[in-house]
Amino acid sequence: MNCIKLSKATGLACLALMLISIPLLGAGCGSDSEDTVDKVKVGFSICYTGVAAEKGRPMGNAKLDCIKYINEELGGVAGYEIEVIWRDNEYDAAKATTIINELIDAGCLMFTTNSSAMMTASAETANREDFPGFAVFSAPALTNPPQHIYAQMPDYGDDWAAFANYYLENIWQGEGEPKMALHLLNNSTGAGAKAAADLLADDLGIDLVTVEEHDASTISEIDSLTRIMALDPDVLYISSTPQPTSIILKDAVDLGLYPGVTVGLGHASITDELVELAGADVVEGVYGVYPTVNWGDDVPAMDKMTEYCQQYHPEDYGNMDYITSWAEGLIVAEILRLAIENVGIENLTPQAVEEHGFKALNNFNVGGLHGPVTYTAGDNRLSKSVRVFQISGGEIMPITGWIDAPQIPYVFD
Amino acid sequence: MDLPAGVRNFSYAKDMAIFRTKTHWAMLLLLFVVLFTLPLYLGNHWLNVANFVGITIIAVTGLNILTGYCGQLSIGHAGFIAVGAYTSAVLTNRFELPFLVGLICAGLLAGFVGMLFGIPSVRVKGFYLAISTIAAQIIIIWVINHWTNITGGFNGIAVPEPVIAGITFDTQGEFFYLIVAITILVIFFAKNLARTRPGRAFIAIRDNDLAAEVMGINLFRYKLLAFFIGCFLAGIAGSLMAHLMGFLSAENFHITDSILYIGMLIIGGMGTTVGPIFGVIFIKLLDKGISFLSPTLEGAFNLPAGFTTGIGPMVFGLVIILFLIIEPRGLAHRWQLFKASYRLWPFSY
Amino acid sequence: MDELLQFVITGITVGTVYALIALGFVLVWKSSGVANLALGQLVLISSWFAYGMLVQLGLPAWFGLIIVIVLSLMLGWIIERFVLRPLIAQPILSLITVTLGLAFFLEGLVSFTWPKSVAALPHILPDQVIHIGTAVVSMEYLLAAAISLILFVLLSLYFKYNKMGIAMRATADDQLAVQACGIPVTKIFSRSWMFACVLAAIGGILMSSIGGITYGLVHTGLKAFSVVILGGLDSFLGAMVAGPIIGLAENVGGGYLTPLTWPGVKDVIPFIIIIIVMFIKPYGLFGEERIERI
Repeated sequence: MNCIKLSKATGLACLALMLISIPLLGAGCGSDSEDTVDKVKVGFSICYTGVAAEKGRPMGNAKLDCIKYINEELGGVAGYEIEVIWRDNEYDAAKATTIINELIDAGCLMFTTNSSAMMTASAETANREDFPGFAVFSAPALTNPPQHIYAQMPDYGDDWAAFANYYLENIWQGEGEPKMALHLLNNSTGAGAKAAADLLADDLGIDLVTVEEHDASTISEIDSLTRIMALDPDVLYISSTPQPTSIILKDAVDLGLYPGVTVGLGHASITDELVELAGADVVEGVYGVYPTVNWGDDVPAMDKMTEYCQQYHPEDYGNMDYITSWAEGLIVAEILRLAIENVGIENLTPQAVEEHGFKALNNFNVGGLHGPVTYTAGDNRLSKSVRVFQISGGEIMPITGWIDAPQIPYVFD
Repeated sequence: MDLPAGVRNFSYAKDMAIFRTKTHWAMLLLLFVVLFTLPLYLGNHWLNVANFVGITIIAVTGLNILTGYCGQLSIGHAGFIAVGAYTSAVLTNRFELPFLVGLICAGLLAGFVGMLFGIPSVRVKGFYLAISTIAAQIIIIWVINHWTNITGGFNGIAVPEPVIAGITFDTQGEFFYLIVAITILVIFFAKNLARTRPGRAFIAIRDNDLAAEVMGINLFRYKLLAFFIGCFLAGIAGSLMAHLMGFLSAENFHITDSILYIGMLIIGGMGTTVGPIFGVIFIKLLDKGISFLSPTLEGAFNLPAGFTTGIGPMVFGLVIILFLIIEPRGLAHRWQLFKASYRLWPFSY
Repeated sequence: MDELLQFVITGITVGTVYALIALGFVLVWKSSGVANLALGQLVLISSWFAYGMLVQLGLPAWFGLIIVIVLSLMLGWIIERFVLRPLIAQPILSLITVTLGLAFFLEGLVSFTWPKSVAALPHILPDQVIHIGTAVVSMEYLLAAAISLILFVLLSLYFKYNKMGIAMRATADDQLAVQACGIPVTKIFSRSWMFACVLAAIGGILMSSIGGITYGLVHTGLKAFSVVILGGLDSFLGAMVAGPIIGLAENVGGGYLTPLTWPGVKDVIPFIIIIIVMFIKPYGLFGEERIERI
């Protein structure tokens, strides 16, 4: 009897100890790094795995390589090493909210995410805590109304606006208003373009004849293109990802719709994968907008980026997302540099970084990797420029210089 | 019953009590003390993990009533959670109704939608029902994505912070108390439900629906009731999730989540009250461990680039398969065995 | 009118490809009573097998495809031997959920082995355009549809005349009786999974040579369930008839409903059909209604 009681007591004690120690251990994990003065902490929430890993992985590699370059070769920012806390959000919204809390807890000064979806999940927490951050690929809803979230790249709406402007000025020859059909992926990639088109088409003088939508898993878009053909549009704008875009373009060629209409693509569509999937002859002459330079272009940051990419992640060489995120690393460093210069290292808080870092950005050229980065009051987009590209002979060639996309007066609630 | 020797009952009420001995009460008290002091020593990060664990426990408890007790397999649970989440978001954002109204309506609407898609269960079961719940999820998500003027469509919808009686819940710690309180209520409800007439009817239906019908159980009514309760809890979980995240988009409710809920249920143990708790905590900790370890491992051993990407789903799949083969009654059963052997220790036979 | 012709032709050809995937499901269900929810994942992984052979190893098409078939035979054998066999005589709920676990595992395996999520297969099928009246149809779809039809005929004949096929049908009907007759039930199970994986592989190769390999193949697998439900779980003919019906409903329905409802209605039509069939005729057009006894 005694024995049983004793064992019970020990068991209970053990259980209690375990219950108490689990959270303590957990708390320990959350704040494992000491605050030191010679380092500045930033958080990266990266979709390194999960359904968006295809983009998240090279982007994650690029920004970590870039910070490594800044720390090793440039001696950090203003003499302070950048310490990165990065977490894999697996493209899962719930995990992204957990991670943003972790980053705030860990004392980061700012954070970034790759995708608009993950920023959407993090934004509310960040805004509640006045914690600044930016998303590389963004959606209009994130920066409207402007709060503590910024956008590195022009979003899918800006793409549409930039393409529409270019089309009206340089391609459209006919009388009256050109008739445009939209073919959109059924997520925020498509919705961004639609939001811009709905707001701007009338003012620009474009007649939106129809909006079609497709799923990422589509295997035939003959039916939707047949409906589009019946309306006899002058231009077809696709905001999607490479695989569905390749299906649409192949079907458009089969139907005889293209060549004939002008085809414009959002920046998520116009990549080398599209050319590979659809075949160079199908995509010949297709226009698209893209916000960064190409590999091998003659810009200041290209050499170091190529060197680091070849050395640490040779498999990512040639991947456009690597460029985007290398630029992201440069922007993070620039924000921190401005903040340290303006308020001093001892006064750095996330709020100070936002006031004196983000908002002090003025015509930072990002090593020429994409359009210049400037903060203008009321517009949380950092870079606003895209270039128009055209595919010829299987190569995606730029045909314009940087075009500024106008700020679009979105209203979201 | 798993009680120590020498515990006697002098009334029916006592026999039916959940907590029988002083040890039980002491453990319960200890658990409550630990739970309610958690925010004191956990940071926002781990509180957020705990909050999602709580929400998932509510959702899986709902699934447990539907699948574990009543035997109606649903692979569309994330869809019903989405209904709840959006109901609450729309009511509190667009119509500016109080949080509690949103919460209850979220549960009710999710319950009714669940009932609607549960109607085929009267004629079909097993695979047919599984497919029709998958279809339900896809249709629900499609409607949410396109009913733009109500749900915000692909752009998503912002969800205000919950306010109850003047108190605003806007930190992880405050959310934690809200979620823990509701989770405890839900677990208590589920435990008792299993011991009522409907609960026993559910079990009879699961074990043999024809026999149950012959015994006089109205299949139509009880199956729909199971759908209603299961999806009601899904709706409650969805509402809490919406307010915790502060922003909703339909991408948050993926069919993979529905499958993972089933996995949690299997691992925890179907048809037991503690099963969902064990299953959710197990999977969430496993998940946390994998996402913490795998990038390190990949770097340390120079593993192929897909290691981090693939290892999570592979482990989850493997765990589900292994549990079904080796321990189909789940962790709850292991827990029972452990308790039994611990009670008799060191004189087990 | 021109539009209608186009919708009909596209619908039938696309639907026949759905039917091909559905056949793999019916095969397993018919002989072992297991509902395989990992259908889409099997299609996905065998497409990546093809990518590995044809693109990564650079094998000639005919040889690479033979290896893909061999690999999927092995996959089927492994799945049956290590996942399904330990669960023989378990409740139907376990048999369904174990395929969900399998689905998870296969997805993980795919992203483990092939981290890139989009890839193109070399064009195995010629892709000229054929004009039928005012409508057009791509040669690759026509060939894919033809291959589905051939496989359907072969399978039906096999189940009707081959000894093993008859044994498979018998097994589905009554496992105990079959065992009493001295037929090795486990061998039959294993063979049905091997065949199912080959069907998934052929479907996967056809679809991904048309549209590239993406995660979207899993979603196409889900659409194949609507074919299975409409046609009846245990009927090859059902799948072959229901496939084009689903394809037609998608294209014609999508064609005329899109202006009336929201865009993208085409993608949910198969799932709406599932719900409708559940209400009206749960055992499908050609499915056998099972009468249960206590």
